[in-house]
Amino acid sequence: MDCSGVRALMNRYIDGELGYLETAEFQRHLAFCPDCSLEFRELSALRGTLAAWGDVPLAPPAGFANRVMTAVATEPLPGSPRPLADVVSDVLEWLDQSLGRVRLPGGRTMPVKNLLGWAIALVAVVIGFGRRRGQDQAKTRVSRAAGAARR
Amino acid sequence: MASSNWEKWRLPADPSPADLARAAAGERQAFRMIVERYQHMVYSVAYNVLGNHADAEDAAQDAFLRCYRSLPQYRSEASFSTWLFRLALTAAIDAQRRERRRPEPVDVPEVAGEAAALAPGIDAATIARALADLPEDYRTPTVLRDVYGLPYHEIAELTGRPLGTVKVMVHRGRAALRLRLRAEREA
Repeated sequence: MDCSGVRALMNRYIDGELGYLETAEFQRHLAFCPDCSLEFRELSALRGTLAAWGDVPLAPPAGFANRVMTAVATEPLPGSPRPLADVVSDVLEWLDQSLGRVRLPGGRTMPVKNLLGWAIALVAVVIGFGRRRGQDQAKTRVSRAAGAARR
Repeated sequence: MASSNWEKWRLPADPSPADLARAAAGERQAFRMIVERYQHMVYSVAYNVLGNHADAEDAAQDAFLRCYRSLPQYRSEASFSTWLFRLALTAAIDAQRRERRRPEPVDVPEVAGEAAALAPGIDAATIARALADLPEDYRTPTVLRDVYGLPYHEIAELTGRPLGTVKVMVHRGRAALRLRLRAEREA
């Protein structure tokens, strides 16, 4: 196994994903290659540092607990049915996340959900106009027929 | 081997069943006790996933609101800390999926209490900056894998990404962090 092969396997070794033979070859290479050995030691040390970072408690901004409690005060009791507006808001957010965004000219983006909303509104308007026109035409035909009958 | 670090979040003792029942019944003082006891844990998770204070505070608050709403559904099979930890992770990842509302910050979080030395030549501010500067696509999977010890398949599930993609992102995140920390040490 050469250096590029060993480097390709380094993360899998660290994650414990290598089989017996690959592990043996990997370790044999590290024993005589100072460059790969250094990279491996750095990567192992990094994992230790990151795990230790997970133990470090970070302080939220001052007054955080009070702000949470102010928000909690506006909530209904736990377990009670959620207000319809909140449910609608959650559904819209879910749609936002599921459908993603579309890129517009000029580098701006827009939620696909909004585009769909406009498309549905446009279709509804077109259908509404179509039905109204149909009703108007029907009324005209009826009044013409009535006029003809009177004549 | 993949091993979860979630156990260490049990350090704040779980609230007593009586306190949890009071909070689940809507008693604000009982819930405040939960917020005060777990705010560092929840905020740390949010900050490490999101990499800035403003988004982290919003996500941490959202996590506590989710906790308040779903307290009646909490079952004691899992420890309360583990349950709340997962709520915090989910809230942070959901916040990340939404369009970012804040510019990328360079601010460093304040460590609560005394932080032990992380590694020779590496202090808390260095690691916080290095993580915050990682591209978002690399940071979240790397944090979930190496800071919190989640198995790859759970990261894939939480982030909604294919397993192979998650692994590649973690490997790249590690590579970027290794070079960054080497440069910091040499500086």
